Amino acid sequence: MRIGVFVCHCGTNIAGTVDCAAVAAAAQQFPEVVLAVDTPYACSEPGQRAIIEAIEQKGLNGVVVASCTPRMHEATFRRTVERAGLNRYMFEMANIREHVSWVGRDKKLNTFKATDLVRIAVEKLRYNRPLTAKSFAVNKRVLVIGAGVAGIQAALDCADGGLETIVVERTSTVGGKMAKLDKTFPTVDCSVCVLGPKMVDLAQHRKIKLYAMSEIADLSGYVGNFEVSIRRKATYVDWNKCTGCGLCADKCPSRKAPDHFNELVGRTTAISIPFPQAIPKKASIDASSCLHFLKDRCGVCAKVCPVEAIDFEQQDEVVKESVGAVVVATGFDLLDIRRFGQYGGGRFPDVVTSLQYERMLSASGPTGGHLKCPSDGREPKSVVFISCVGSRDRSMDRAICSGFCCMYTAKQAILTKSHVPDCETHVFYMDIRAPGKGYDEFIRRAQEEYRTNYVRGRVSSVYPKNGRLAVRGADTLLGTQTEVMADLVVLAVGAGAAEGSRDLAEKLRISYDAYGFFMESHPKLKPVETNTAGVFLAGACQGPKDIPASVAMGSAAAGKVMALFSKERLESDPQVAQVNAVRCVGCLKCLRTCPFGAIQEVQARDGSTKAQVIESVCQGCGVCTVTCTDRAIELQHFTDNQLLAEVNYLCRSWMEKSPA
Amino acid sequence: MSTIDLLREAIRAKLPDLDMVLAWGGDDPLRASPLFIRTESDLENLAAPHLYVSNLAVNLYSLRSKKIGLVVKGCDSRSVIQLLKEGLIARPSLYIFGLPCEGVVDAAKINREIPDAGRATGLAVRSGRVMVQTPENEHILDLDAVLADRCLRCRYPNPLIYDQLIGEAIPVGEIPDLYQDLDEFEALSLDARHDFWMETMRRCVRCYACRNACPLCVCKAHCVADSREPHWLTLETNVSQKWFFQVLHSMHLAGRCTECGECERACPMGLPILLMRRKLNREIRELFGYEAGLDLMTTPPLSTFSIEEENIAEREL
Repeated sequence: MRIGVFVCHCGTNIAGTVDCAAVAAAAQQFPEVVLAVDTPYACSEPGQRAIIEAIEQKGLNGVVVASCTPRMHEATFRRTVERAGLNRYMFEMANIREHVSWVGRDKKLNTFKATDLVRIAVEKLRYNRPLTAKSFAVNKRVLVIGAGVAGIQAALDCADGGLETIVVERTSTVGGKMAKLDKTFPTVDCSVCVLGPKMVDLAQHRKIKLYAMSEIADLSGYVGNFEVSIRRKATYVDWNKCTGCGLCADKCPSRKAPDHFNELVGRTTAISIPFPQAIPKKASIDASSCLHFLKDRCGVCAKVCPVEAIDFEQQDEVVKESVGAVVVATGFDLLDIRRFGQYGGGRFPDVVTSLQYERMLSASGPTGGHLKCPSDGREPKSVVFISCVGSRDRSMDRAICSGFCCMYTAKQAILTKSHVPDCETHVFYMDIRAPGKGYDEFIRRAQEEYRTNYVRGRVSSVYPKNGRLAVRGADTLLGTQTEVMADLVVLAVGAGAAEGSRDLAEKLRISYDAYGFFMESHPKLKPVETNTAGVFLAGACQGPKDIPASVAMGSAAAGKVMALFSKERLESDPQVAQVNAVRCVGCLKCLRTCPFGAIQEVQARDGSTKAQVIESVCQGCGVCTVTCTDRAIELQHFTDNQLLAEVNYLCRSWMEKSPA
Repeated sequence: MSTIDLLREAIRAKLPDLDMVLAWGGDDPLRASPLFIRTESDLENLAAPHLYVSNLAVNLYSLRSKKIGLVVKGCDSRSVIQLLKEGLIARPSLYIFGLPCEGVVDAAKINREIPDAGRATGLAVRSGRVMVQTPENEHILDLDAVLADRCLRCRYPNPLIYDQLIGEAIPVGEIPDLYQDLDEFEALSLDARHDFWMETMRRCVRCYACRNACPLCVCKAHCVADSREPHWLTLETNVSQKWFFQVLHSMHLAGRCTECGECERACPMGLPILLMRRKLNREIRELFGYEAGLDLMTTPPLSTFSIEEENIAEREL
């Protein structure tokens, strides 16, 4: 083999603490190395050209670049060697920046370690074999999970781009959290009025198929060829017949069902349509409140329904769809208000969450848009807003900022004044975070034009006093304790991952952070991608986001899907597991441990059982290779011989070459 | 009828349906060797139960294409269960004679007790005593003093899987502390343990008897110890290569080893290599609450995949 080694300075990033020329000189002595040079920037155009010229002039058939992490430039250099006619897997990268120059200061030791890493790469490269990617067809249909504003935007953009789009929504209507909002900041325009047209477009788009009241039961397959099972939950109403006339809800005698759309402010009927603009506008029965299911009587809805749509026998149904990509837009949920006992959360009826308050402000809400205290229905004359409830609070292991609370709190303070002009409004805050366009001006309006009393400090307790609520806290600007009387306390409860998001992540094989938010592939450069190819993120499921950011991310995810689908065929990564059938004893432990279902059982010609890897499904994780006691499965590009060559070099001569 | 007669009759009755029955036999009064019973006349060579030392399950994988009858003690039955669980052998081609076991004698221990044991002509066990007959003497030993080590910590004297039980199940005695020896060893300093293994591995002759005697070791021809492609182990007879092999073997047996002790018994140098396997087994017990070869229905922890393990703090690593 004829190996060339290129040691990159990365400006002073590496050369500052590593003697790159010495590393190159040492590498010149390594087995099968015919050329070793140092170069200021290997990734630059002249740097790459030098590699190509060296391959051509020196007849290299393997290249090692010692530079940064392969996460950044491995793809670059693979393309470089490919341009010079080599197989792209005849390339190895030694990370002497993140693993050496950025972590150690001693130049002598750094140079020693860098030399070792280059040697390891050379040792591995000597066992590399050319690998060839296989290609497979792409199913150009996309699945969008969650139909909040991010999911709606992603679905509409995909559908407008000509893709067949499947939308799965857990509740009986699309719209998500945005549909529950009364007004939106910083324009104070009616939330559902701006969202409504998009909801209608979603329902009427010829390319979009909507499954409401449905959840993902299972997802298998791989990028380009996913198989998804969707569980359609029983609504006990035949939606093909239901016209959404609402007669059933008018006549339903069970009027104490929890009203989830209204955030449990007020009650609804056992059969209901969540709100006037609901899409699809179809009734569904809450079996836990319906007299038919509880006491086996009533059946009024079935009698009054003009189209005979009520079907008490309906069961959950699982439907299958095939798609090539998935956009996850499952949003967020507020933390449980009962966790905030110090603020009276869950104890005092007049302590509500911001989203409950939003419903109380809404004209389509349970109070018809009239502000009333939940305890006795009186009009509040003082409303206290508490920010950062369960956000930026290390005492409850939540260091994150929920991002949008400062803004909606200001909006709610403004709306309070427009509902009850003589109502006092107080906001307890830590800092004001208003970095968006027109955001800080909006906060100023709340403070100056709408005379909201902003108190910088945290609230220590909320307790009943003379039939009202006393809010006690610190005023850190005045350096005093302060107490404000309130009729209503609104908690800006922090945003957490949506209920069930961990289960969904495991079905989709994507990762999530400590708060349950889904992990993007790279925090800066791949914010919409996940580490599972073909699964993209949109909206607040990735972390708290306001409406403009969610919409932008929905469009971004759609753009990613369309870029993916712009190719007729995709290439599979050849760095996958491979079974050596001679060694395989057919115990199929690999099949049982494979997290991707990438191994199948086959019959060999002699009738014995063997394992076989489905190359397009295999993600190259290596679980099977460590499970196989017979060493019958190896990961291509990470074979036993390659790893042994690395370890053998490192361990064998450690004593001899140590600089100390 | 005595146990040996019951067993003989049971095998005689099933022999026509089977290619062969694996049991123990031979002429040595202190040791029985594996007996492959193909015809009724082979039954005459059946040895007495206290000599049923070796674990015959070691033969099952290589004989998996045949219809095999197998005599198992409690400990052997665990190997059979583990092989079945791992899909290495098939239940329909197996007929199991289960033998409740009071413990087997360790010939090496008798040799230490009796100077002329090499010339023994007979051995009998009666009510906790072992009578060894030599041309000149009759020695009487305490059974507990000559039982194999693993019998002293036996928790499963009765087979856990069988088609036919020979005689009656025996009551399970008090269960001794399972890992006392390991606790004592781990209480030693790191240096002391390192020195212990250096010395132990220095004595290893790299004969692979431990591997060959292991009923769960099924790679055989493709063992990493013999493989030259990939070249895991060199032919150098240094401690690092020998130690590397023992660690590899132990790792391959993590969560699979039933602690039958055949590796240690087979070792011509008498090296305490079961200790290494027992260490890993205890880790598996603590991490996954799993013991190999007890229940056909459970899944071995290293043959399955779980996103988050209960006892492994993945996030804190």
